[in-house]
Amino acid sequence: MADIRRKGLGPLGLAGLAAGAVVMLVPLIWTLLLSLKKNAELIGHSEAALHGPYTLQNYAAIVSNSLTLRWLLNSTIVALGTTAGVLILASLAGYGFARLDFPFRRTLFFFVLIGLAIPSQAVILPQHQLFAWLHLHNSYPGLILPGLIAPFGVFFMTTYMRGIPRELDEAAMLDGASRWTIFSKVILPLTKPAQSTLAVFTFLGSWNDYWWPLISATRSDMYTLTVGLAAAQMNYAQTSGLGYLMAQAVFASIPIFIVYFIFQKQIVRAMAGTAVR
Amino acid sequence: MRRIAAAAAALLTLGSCSNGDSKTHLYLQRFFGECGADYGNSIDVSKAEGECGIITTLVNRFNAENPDIHIDVNVVAWPGYPQLTAQVAARDPPDLVTMHEGVISDYATKGLLERVDPYLKAAGIASEGFTDAARRGVTIGNRIYALPWDTHGGLFHVNTALFAKAGLMRGGKPVLPNSTEEFIAQARQFQARTGKPYFIQSNVADPAFAARNLFTYIMAQGALVFPDPKHIRLNTPEGLRAANFLRLINVERLGTQNMDTPAAIAAFMSGEGGIYPTGTWMIGTFEQEANTPGRPLYKSYAVFPYPRLWGEHVEFVSGHSWVVPTRKRTPQQREAIARFFKFMAAHNFDWARTGHIPAFQAVLGDPRFIALPHRADIAPLASIGRPLPSYVLRQNAIEGLVGEEAAAAFTGQKPIPQALADAERRVDDLLAQAE
Repeated sequence: MADIRRKGLGPLGLAGLAAGAVVMLVPLIWTLLLSLKKNAELIGHSEAALHGPYTLQNYAAIVSNSLTLRWLLNSTIVALGTTAGVLILASLAGYGFARLDFPFRRTLFFFVLIGLAIPSQAVILPQHQLFAWLHLHNSYPGLILPGLIAPFGVFFMTTYMRGIPRELDEAAMLDGASRWTIFSKVILPLTKPAQSTLAVFTFLGSWNDYWWPLISATRSDMYTLTVGLAAAQMNYAQTSGLGYLMAQAVFASIPIFIVYFIFQKQIVRAMAGTAVR
Repeated sequence: MRRIAAAAAALLTLGSCSNGDSKTHLYLQRFFGECGADYGNSIDVSKAEGECGIITTLVNRFNAENPDIHIDVNVVAWPGYPQLTAQVAARDPPDLVTMHEGVISDYATKGLLERVDPYLKAAGIASEGFTDAARRGVTIGNRIYALPWDTHGGLFHVNTALFAKAGLMRGGKPVLPNSTEEFIAQARQFQARTGKPYFIQSNVADPAFAARNLFTYIMAQGALVFPDPKHIRLNTPEGLRAANFLRLINVERLGTQNMDTPAAIAAFMSGEGGIYPTGTWMIGTFEQEANTPGRPLYKSYAVFPYPRLWGEHVEFVSGHSWVVPTRKRTPQQREAIARFFKFMAAHNFDWARTGHIPAFQAVLGDPRFIALPHRADIAPLASIGRPLPSYVLRQNAIEGLVGEEAAAAFTGQKPIPQALADAERRVDDLLAQAE
């Protein structure tokens, strides 16, 4: 609120913001209300969501599926594994590109940046063949490894580390610190804001990923939550299972909300583009 | 730290646990959704409802009746073909897969599906016992590539209360048109007397709806939609006649406008129109409405195959089937597949309770089937049903392309000849690339 006042937003601006917030919130509230109604009540009459009685029956049906918790665990492992891997690799690569001199550094960095322009769909066939050859489908490494190819992460960390004064490295070197010590004890702690931002985006991207898990995790005990919930839907779910469908959407979003509440400061900073100084 | 690492390692190996019993395991992959919460342990098929409930219970029952075999079920997101293709590419396909009959040729022509004749023979199933529509759907050349499981296609779902109000009931049955002229005349009468549209349509985001109608009424004029495996013919006198008829419904506002599938279903169940041409799969839902006091459809529902508006009484249909992807198998697994086929064929009646037409003639004549609501009325679909020719590849994609252009023609977004020509060009381009 203080920020808004500083920027001179008057009552009209506030009203506009409130209207925007309502527009954003209405579909979410509608989804939540639909999820609390019995499917039978909603068939042909979705306006029934506007009044009671409400029930948690759809959520009970989701949780009572013996595989739902397994899918939740799979998604958690894959998202956390991918996030940790991306942070480690992007930090190391970023440090290398930002601080070390080695042959073809610029060329290599250029190649990494080209990766930003190549959609994952373009390499999905050879990638799938490679993972089949390595017998990695239907495994956690098979779900995590493709997510570690993170040109954006490398670019992001390189840019951030370039902004850290080199004098800090030189001072540490004069004290006899090795390259690894400089990286781990001096530079890395200073990149926490960038790490947080990258972690949030990587986690969200991995959690919501659908296409690769769909074709790599083909056994139901290895589904991630996105694939599992889609598989659990019956045909014409949007008509005869609307409440259940919406409960699935809410259920799949809960971890994302939790991540948001924990890291909202970093997410807002990242959205505002202020994480990179 | 070590504990965390050990826990992580344990979690990482969870996915690679294998079955350690002496049973013969078959890996079955299907769509129809997941309903383990309601039917996970049920083996009483007669009490199961809906596609998911019935198939889940059937597999449970098979496992219970065959203690030496275990079917491991993998439920995939509908329709499951991206996953199946990925599994085939990884050389790890399932043993049994649910497949739409229009998709069989895509896999079979590449040698990715086994011929099922040996399994049928071992199970004592004669293909002569299949219905005409089912046999056409699973046969390529003289080879059978699947156990047919049902036939499904469009039906005219009718609100009989509104039909009565419109004066279109005779002897307790709705009077359906026998020509396009009669259709339009009835629609005008219906609209004038009820104030509601005669025809409920889902021409938005539902390409299957438009394609189904166009294919059906081109076939009904005796025209070949696919004269050869690489070309479709829609921009023909027959195609133009069918499209002009379906366009007229919109020009005269005799049908609902701007509806997608859920909206159209809701409109029919709310009593907002006379006829909703949708599939066999909606019978159960509409019948439930018809049996619920206070609902607009209460005691006001009937259903029939598409009426004959032109010379031939034929209708575009598809079907669900069970295929066996090609892979190495033990003799025990092959025997288990044959036993599964025998079991599923014996329970085809149970599946027919979903609303789909049975794939076996014996079930069509079964008094239990005829006693089910509306089944006597819709049974002709098994003989008038025509799938697209099995030599045509990419039928799913074709349905999408044709449906998109056909909907544009019916709703007036494109001139009809242009839409049909565009559909031909797009499909021919697709088929030129298909191997």
